[in-house]
Amino acid sequence: MRRYVFAVAWRVAALAALAIAILVLPRYVGVFRANQFALVGIFFIALLGLNIVTGHAGQISLAHGAFMAIGGYTTAILVSGGPTLGEPLNLWPNALEGGVRDLWTIPLAGLAAALAGFLFALPALRLTGLYLALATFAIAVATPAVLAKPAEITGGSRGIQLFGLPELSGKGFEQVGFLGHDVPFEDFVYYVTWLIAAALFAAAWLMLNGRIGRAFRAVRDSEVAAAASGVNPAAYKTLAFAVSAFYAGVAGSLYVILNWGAAPRSFPVLLSIQLLIGLVVAGLGSLGTLVLGALFIQFLPEAIRRSGDLGLLPDALQRWGDEPGAPNVVFGAVLVTLVLLLPTGAAGLPRRAAAALTSRRYSQS
Amino acid sequence: MDRKPLALLLLAVGALALAAAAAHARPAADPGVTDTTITIGGTVPLTGSFSSVAGVARGAEAYFKWLNAQGGVNKRKILYKYYDDQYNPSLTVQQTRQLVQQDKVFAIFNTVGTEHNLAIRGFLNELDVPHLFLATGLTAWGRQYKEYPWTMGYLPSYVAEGTIYGKYLLGAKPTARVAILHQDDDYGKDLVAGLRKGLGRRAGRMIVATETYSPEQADVRSEIIRLKASGANTLMIFAFGKFAIQSFAFVRETGWRPLIFVNQVASSANVMLVSGSAGENKRVHGALTIGFVKDPADVRWSSDRGMKLYFRIMKRYLPRANARDGYHAYGMASAFTMADALRRAGRNPTRASLIRAATNLTERNNPFLMPGIVVRTRSNDRFPIAQAQLQRFRYYKAGRDWAGRWIPFGKLVTARG
Repeated sequence: MRRYVFAVAWRVAALAALAIAILVLPRYVGVFRANQFALVGIFFIALLGLNIVTGHAGQISLAHGAFMAIGGYTTAILVSGGPTLGEPLNLWPNALEGGVRDLWTIPLAGLAAALAGFLFALPALRLTGLYLALATFAIAVATPAVLAKPAEITGGSRGIQLFGLPELSGKGFEQVGFLGHDVPFEDFVYYVTWLIAAALFAAAWLMLNGRIGRAFRAVRDSEVAAAASGVNPAAYKTLAFAVSAFYAGVAGSLYVILNWGAAPRSFPVLLSIQLLIGLVVAGLGSLGTLVLGALFIQFLPEAIRRSGDLGLLPDALQRWGDEPGAPNVVFGAVLVTLVLLLPTGAAGLPRRAAAALTSRRYSQS
Repeated sequence: MDRKPLALLLLAVGALALAAAAAHARPAADPGVTDTTITIGGTVPLTGSFSSVAGVARGAEAYFKWLNAQGGVNKRKILYKYYDDQYNPSLTVQQTRQLVQQDKVFAIFNTVGTEHNLAIRGFLNELDVPHLFLATGLTAWGRQYKEYPWTMGYLPSYVAEGTIYGKYLLGAKPTARVAILHQDDDYGKDLVAGLRKGLGRRAGRMIVATETYSPEQADVRSEIIRLKASGANTLMIFAFGKFAIQSFAFVRETGWRPLIFVNQVASSANVMLVSGSAGENKRVHGALTIGFVKDPADVRWSSDRGMKLYFRIMKRYLPRANARDGYHAYGMASAFTMADALRRAGRNPTRASLIRAATNLTERNNPFLMPGIVVRTRSNDRFPIAQAQLQRFRYYKAGRDWAGRWIPFGKLVTARG
C-alpha cells in the first residue's frame, strides 16, 4: 500500500514538474524557441495518436503525416473560407463568409482526420504487418499529389496562405490575448498546443488504461485470443485508426496555424517517417516518454548543426555533419541502432538497465 | 503507464529546462550588422528532389567568401546563412523565423521557390525585413511593391519570358500549332499568361493543347503523350528540374518532332546535356530558350573575364562542386547585386537604407550576366533583370563525347512586366 501511494505521488510530482516547466518556458525563451517548443507539442500530439494505433493496437502506420495533412487542410480551408487563388471560393453561407476563427477549426480538423482514418481502416483491416505498412506508406506518398489536384478547394501546389487573415489569431503576428495576458502569436500557439496536448494526453491515458486499452493490446498480441475473449478485432482496429487519426488531425491543424498556411509539400513522406521514428525512440506503447520522441524529431537536425559550433565532434565527422541530408542519415542510423540495441525505446531503458545490473549481480553471487 | 517512464518524464523536464537556458536569446540593437560583419540569410532545397538548385545558394556563398577575402563591403564581411528547407514551405517558414528571430539576420536573400517566398512574404513585410533578390520569377514580386515594399525578385519575370517566346513565334513560325506543358502553379500560369500576351490575338488559334503537372507526381509521360496527340508541332516545356529532363525523354520516346521551347529555369547547358544523354536524344538540338546569366558549361565564355573569375572562385571555394552547373553562376550574379546594394546602403546600413539602395540600382558591371544586361531598379520599377537573350541549343559530337552549347541570336530583348 505504501509503495502504491509512493508511486502515485511520484507520478503526480513528475507531471506537475513537467506542467510547470511547460507553463513558464515562454517567459525565458524568445518567440522563436516558443515556436519550436510549440512544434514539439504538435509532434507530441501526433505521437500520442500514433502510439494508440501502433503502440497499443499493434497496427503500424506510416500514414500519420497524411492524417496531419487532412486536419491541416481542413483548418486552412475553413479559416480562409476557400483558397486565396484569384477569385475566392464561396464555400459557406453568408453567416460564415470570410472564414472561421482558427481555434474553432481544431476539433473539426480532428473529426475530418478521424473520418479519414475510419474510412482507411475499413480496407486496411485485411492487411497485417508489412502489407499494412506498405499500404499506409502509399497513402503518405500519394497525399501531396492528391492535395495539389483540386486547386479550387486546396489552392493547388501553392496551397493556402493564412498570414494576415483576421480569422487567424492575431493575424499571425500581433499580440493575442490568452487568459488575460497579451502574448506574442508564437507563445499563444505554444500555450494552446500544450493545453490541447495535456487534455489529449489525459484522454489517451484514461482510454489506454481502461477496457478499450486492454482490448487494443489483446488485439495486438493475438487476434484469435482476443476474439475468443469477446473482443471484436475489426471493430477495435477501426476504432484505433479513427482515434489515432483524430490526434494527427488536431496536430496537423495546429501545424498549419503555426506556419500560417498549408501547401502540399508541407506534408511530405518524410513527416510520416519522422513520426514513426519518434515513436520508436520514445518506446512503442509508452505514454510518458513520448515527449522525448517529439523533442528528438524537432531538435535532432539543429543538434547536429550545433554540435560543430560547440566543438563536440571531430573535424572530419563535423564536415560530414554539415552535408545536407546528414540529419536524415542520423535519423536512419538511430532507428537501426535502437531497434537492434533498445527495442523498447527510451521507455524500456530503465527496466533494461536494471535487468542488466541485477542479472550481473545474481550471476556473480 | 508503468513506473519506468517516470524517471524519463523528469529527464524530459530537465531537457526542456536545459534547452530553455541554452536558448535564452539576447536582443540585438541593430539586427545583423556589427562593426565587422553583415549577416544575411535564406533558404534553399539542399536535399530532396529539388536539390539540383542548391548551386543557387552555394554559388552565392562562394562569391561572398571571395569578396570577404578582398575586404568585404565597406570593411564589413558578408556572412550568408542558408538552411535546407527541402522545398517544403512549412520548413521555409520555420527556418525564416529562425533566421529573423533567432539568428537576427539583416535581410533575407536569394530564397528559392515561388510558394516558399509567398509563405514568408507577409511576415517579412510586417517586420520590415528586406526580402531581396528572390530566386523565383513570379511577376507579383515586381508588381505588388505597394503592398509588399520590402520584397523584390531578381530574374526576368515568367510573364516576360513567356511574352518573348510568343513574340518570337509570331515572327518566325506564325503557323505554329503550340502545345504547352506547365507546372500547375503560379509559376506555370505566369509563363502561359505571358505566352498568350506575346501571341496576342492569335493565341486562341495557335495554342492547341495545354497540359499541367503537379511537382508531386512521378513523371509527365501521359501529359506528353496527350500533347503529342493534339497534332501540335511546337512544344513549350514550362517545367522545372527532373520534369524538364523527362519531357525531352518522352518526346523522343513517342517519336514526336516538335520545335521545343524550354523555360529558362530548366535550360542550363548542364541540364540540356543530361537530357541529351550522351547523344541518345537529339531532340535537345535546336531547342530555344532565353538566357541572362553566362552559362559556365558554354565554351563561348571560356576567355571571358567574368567567367574566368567565376572558375577561380569555384576552384578556390567550391572545389568539389560541378563548376559547369549554371545555378552556381546564377548564385554569384545575384550575390554580386546583393553586395552592390549593401555597399550603396552606406557605411552604417539600416534595413531602410538597404531597400532604398536596392531599389535604385544601375548596375552595368555584373561580371556573371551576359554582356549588355543592366540590373536596373527604381522604387516604382522592381524588375532587376529586364533584358534577356534568345538562344538556340546546338548539340554536336566532339570527339567521342557529345557536347552542347547555347548559341545566341538576335539582339537583347526586353523582359519587363
